[in-house]
Amino acid sequence: MLRKIAFTVVLCVLGALLLTGVAVAEDKVIKIGALFPLTGPSAVSGQNCLNSVLAAAELINGAYEGFDVPLAATEGLLGGYKVEIIKADHQGKPDVAKSEAERLYNQEGVFAVIGSYNSAATKPASAVAERAKKLFLCGASSSAALTEREYKYFFRHAPTDAIEATEFTDYITYLNEKKGAGIKTLGLIYENTEFGKHAADEGKKAAAKIGLEVVADVPFNNGATNLSSEVQTLKAANPDAVFGAALGGDYSLWVRTMKQVNWLPKIAINFCTGYQNPAVQKELAGDGDYFMGGMSFSPELAKEFMPEALKVQEKFYFPLANQEFDSDSLQEAVMLLVLGQAIEKAGELDTEKVREILATETFVSPLSLSGEVAFEPGGQNIKALSVITQIKDLKYNTIYPEKFKNAEPVYPMAPWDNR
Amino acid sequence: MNHFLQVLFDGLLNGLVYALVAAGLSMIWGVMDVINFAHGEFLMVGMYVSYWIGFFLDVDPLFSWIASGAFLFIMGAATYRLIIRNSLGKSAMAPLLATFGLSMVLKNFCMNRFTPNFRLLSGTVLEGKTISVGGAILSVPQLATAAFALVLLACLYWMLKRTRLGWAIQATAMDSEAAELMGIRTENIYLLVFGIGGACVGITGGLMTSYLAVYPEVGSLFSLIAFVVVALGGFGSIPGALLAAIIIGLVESFTGFYVAAVVKYAAVFAVYLAVILIRPKGLFGW
Repeated sequence: MLRKIAFTVVLCVLGALLLTGVAVAEDKVIKIGALFPLTGPSAVSGQNCLNSVLAAAELINGAYEGFDVPLAATEGLLGGYKVEIIKADHQGKPDVAKSEAERLYNQEGVFAVIGSYNSAATKPASAVAERAKKLFLCGASSSAALTEREYKYFFRHAPTDAIEATEFTDYITYLNEKKGAGIKTLGLIYENTEFGKHAADEGKKAAAKIGLEVVADVPFNNGATNLSSEVQTLKAANPDAVFGAALGGDYSLWVRTMKQVNWLPKIAINFCTGYQNPAVQKELAGDGDYFMGGMSFSPELAKEFMPEALKVQEKFYFPLANQEFDSDSLQEAVMLLVLGQAIEKAGELDTEKVREILATETFVSPLSLSGEVAFEPGGQNIKALSVITQIKDLKYNTIYPEKFKNAEPVYPMAPWDNR
Repeated sequence: MNHFLQVLFDGLLNGLVYALVAAGLSMIWGVMDVINFAHGEFLMVGMYVSYWIGFFLDVDPLFSWIASGAFLFIMGAATYRLIIRNSLGKSAMAPLLATFGLSMVLKNFCMNRFTPNFRLLSGTVLEGKTISVGGAILSVPQLATAAFALVLLACLYWMLKRTRLGWAIQATAMDSEAAELMGIRTENIYLLVFGIGGACVGITGGLMTSYLAVYPEVGSLFSLIAFVVVALGGFGSIPGALLAAIIIGLVESFTGFYVAAVVKYAAVFAVYLAVILIRPKGLFGW
């Protein structure tokens, strides 16, 4: 009888030890939420962003030689913690983003969330984080309002629409002064969302500063069945330049509709939109040529200024996404790498310590155009850089500023019947 | 004047496309009193069928609409046989929820298999072709789709009004029990109506790939507009659907240009509400 009891006790102890072991192994995981529009009108970009975060997680979790990227050479974080990405889909809807952020923090117990692409979704999701005193890292959402809230737990990599709009008008000034372009009027076409409206507001402010007259202001509902009246309104006003803020399918619809009505402005510059997505451009083929846009990554730019990004793309991103990085998705990977560095510097999984480090230190970032990331109060990356590119034959040529320029702009845009 | 004509033609062309999208929905709704929530996803599937045929076999949408129409006819009939028939007579909500579930399955299946990427067919016969009418520029692919819509709607109307099958469909819609007593196999009529509904939207989708990108969410707004067209035109009425769709196309186009693009859909729904308040059965309701 005693033998049986002893055997049972030993078995229980061994079982308990085994379970504890498993528990310890499970604890060596840092859960990070990846909240993106995986379905809905922005799903293409959302899936790219998610793949980008997954690629960065793979880079952190393994030990890889030959990459001059922080965290690549060592396995995991804090001496062996693996990063586990918990995926969540907000469908491009702010209310879903809010509830998914709550689920990620409260039920999944994530240490931080990366997301959420659409500024309209990032806004409520990061408000959840701020209330819960949890970290929220944002790669690509560009609405300036996000970093004007003075949040403590919110950090954003992308240049804001305000920065991009100023860059656009700087470029117009450059064209007018150096090339005698004679650009005097501006049209704006943008989706009627947090992102689109803010981008348009910043565009108008920047235009006013250089005396550019806004002659057409055309918001539209995203996911539209047609953009006929929108493009007709632009055509009727016939502005010299157009600033566009249309994502994915809306972008291709906009371009195709302009082709249908056989109209183009002298130049069309895009905020972070479908313009930046190589998949959208591939489908548009030659119709996408000569449009311009603000970007912080392109394969052409990376060859010279961000070679490590191309290596990461080849090894980690391409197998997942079957395409090249785009300017938006890459920034989400950067934010995970920055978070990883902050955790390493903190030496422990303490949200407050990591937040303090994020807020005060400068991070090496070979995947960013500037090579560095540092945040000001409010969470904006003060090192954020973007350039103006023009697409031709599926290549994003950098045309401004002079420092990064690798091609002369084709100006004015080649007419539809002469391509 | 040029702008007026352009806006007018844009509205007409869009309206005719809406009419064909809505025609199938209208028949199903009118005959069976079933709301097919997966109608937008049927459109999306039709577009994918045409796109992949164009992509792999280099068949132009001018011809691949036959395949997408046939595919959607079979899919519509199969939807009735496998899903709708089992949910009929259980509760009013059952077919509605069943088709809602089907819409989710179709959308997510396409999202999973084809990714959410936007796919545009390049190098189609009509790509980039335009004609000028009184200074207004008309896109030939859209014009072709609209012309097809008119012909198909005329055929559908003729079939309903002038053939024994059409009379059987109308009889089934009016009183299915009485129709059955008169020897009409209502079960077959339902199957056929679902098939025809699918074929209409399949043909539209097939043609639309010549100018519109295909992606898993493409059907969402079209399906919403189709519901408005059907309710405005009158359940089951093909001329009603045509008139309502043209009204909606014109309201959308004129409001979008002369008021503000951002309120064009709001105006569509406002007109719908106004008509429904005055005439709840719609313009030509059975």
